[in-house]
Amino acid sequence: MRYYIIKRMLATVPLLLGITFLCFVFIDLIPSDPAEVVLRVRQIAIITEADIAQMRADLGLDDPFFVRYFRWLGDCLQGNLGISYVNPTRTVVGELARCLPATLQLAGLSLVFVIILSLPIGILSAVYKDSWFDRIIRGIVFLTTAMPVYWAGLLLMWLLAIKLSLLPTSGSGGFQHLLMPAFTVSLTYISTYIRLIRNNILENMKQDYVLYANARGLSQRSILFNHILKNSLQSCITAIGMSIPQLISGTIVVENVFAWPGVGQLCITSIFNRDYPIIQAYVLLVGVLFVVFNLIFDIIQMAADPRLRKELG
Amino acid sequence: MLKRLLHNKMAMVCVGFILMIVLLGLLAPVLAPHDPYYNNILNKFQAPSLEYPLGTDNLGRCVFSRMLYGVRPTLFLSFLTMAGTIGLGLLMGLLAGYLKGKVDEVIMRIIDIMLSFPSQIMVLAVIALLGVNIQNVIIANVFIKWAWYARMIRTSVVQYTDSGFILFAKSIGHNTPYILWHHMLPCIASELVVLASLDMGWAILNISTLSFLGLGVQAPIPEWGAMLSEAKNVMASRPEQMLVPGVSLMLLVAAFNMLGDCLRDVMDPKEARS
Repeated sequence: MRYYIIKRMLATVPLLLGITFLCFVFIDLIPSDPAEVVLRVRQIAIITEADIAQMRADLGLDDPFFVRYFRWLGDCLQGNLGISYVNPTRTVVGELARCLPATLQLAGLSLVFVIILSLPIGILSAVYKDSWFDRIIRGIVFLTTAMPVYWAGLLLMWLLAIKLSLLPTSGSGGFQHLLMPAFTVSLTYISTYIRLIRNNILENMKQDYVLYANARGLSQRSILFNHILKNSLQSCITAIGMSIPQLISGTIVVENVFAWPGVGQLCITSIFNRDYPIIQAYVLLVGVLFVVFNLIFDIIQMAADPRLRKELG
Repeated sequence: MLKRLLHNKMAMVCVGFILMIVLLGLLAPVLAPHDPYYNNILNKFQAPSLEYPLGTDNLGRCVFSRMLYGVRPTLFLSFLTMAGTIGLGLLMGLLAGYLKGKVDEVIMRIIDIMLSFPSQIMVLAVIALLGVNIQNVIIANVFIKWAWYARMIRTSVVQYTDSGFILFAKSIGHNTPYILWHHMLPCIASELVVLASLDMGWAILNISTLSFLGLGVQAPIPEWGAMLSEAKNVMASRPEQMLVPGVSLMLLVAAFNMLGDCLRDVMDPKEARS
């Protein structure tokens, strides 16, 4: 087990290096000279050759590629991701730190929604398979997977904020402002996981151990809670856990619909402003989160499931 | 297989619906009662009437005509995206699975890295890099999606490489491209079709989302996502403006998703019974 964990952790190192490399190459692939972009987005009226040369020197663009990559990587490890192109007084880390809490709140609450809604609904629709409840849920799941997230958000906004005036339309503030965007983010994931949990439980119900439990004359309730759920929830929880980074990145669209001041909105603004370092840092952040969460939940699954451990020998 | 598909009512309904939409898009210039760009501000927010079957929008443009013309970018761009994705995925997957060794190793590592980024972020990064442009939307979508296909195709190729008919083809001296094209491709085609029809819905949603954010198809061009973006501004006073593009999107995506599900059932009858 310890051997597995160490091996798994070592395997992520090249992956992380690959991610950082891709993020670094990202700025290098800009069709124009970054130094010129910096001067342009800062709206300097007359750009001379000397200015560009000066800016190139400031950004360290004159050094060879790999020198720059390793310098950048070293800076990253020390938590220095450079400064914003648009506003030289702001650091990229500062900008991300300013916006990240709002996004984490949003992602956190949607995770809560995902868990408290998809688990019971998924379980119920598996247990009462083909009942009217299951049919309705399947219909809703089918529709929500076909719905554009932003449209669902707009409809919710219209219904709850404009028509019924229950919640504020958009912007940030208290908990009330958070409810609607968080629910919108969670919508797609809820339908995915209802499906996953339902199918997983149905799959488990066909296993021999359920037949055996039935033969032993255990009550249906006991079979469901002590045997089936124990088995299937494990893999479902892992799947939900692995999707946390996706949840965080999934907030981009919703943040823009509800004017929620998080990283997603920062990212879109940066795209329009050509503020590349911020986009680069965001991509890096999410990529690393993705790998780390995968690692953590892989190990958790391994620890929780004896069958997987046995396969390793 | 085709016979079973033809007998699947739901699949046929979906195919019929999708074909109808395609036809509507192709015939848009004939069917549309008005020019989708013609605006007449005095005529704004008309209720549905004989002249304007679905009313008019905030600039007095005919919503029905815009909806019809909106089929074109939506379907065309998603189709191009899927074609590019499958093309690149197929190439990389076949190469990795069939040639094995170093090629496989390199391609798989690239795939691993590609799959470590959530797709949404990658699309935005590529668009940020290349600039806001329709063509870049397609490049971005292909760029993030091909790895999924490559991995799936590689797995199936590896599975079939040692099977009798491939070994036979090799022993009678067919060259590699011939074997890949005539023997390997038919084996993985069914899986590919299922995945592609499910992902068609994904592509449609993705492209419309980007247009909604202002990163894809730009405003005056009639596209459903861009139409929703315009409708958002008048949401408080004219909520019905959100209805037509939203419902159109949902129906089209639902049709592709349903078709994908049906195809999977047809290809794999074991799944269907569960």
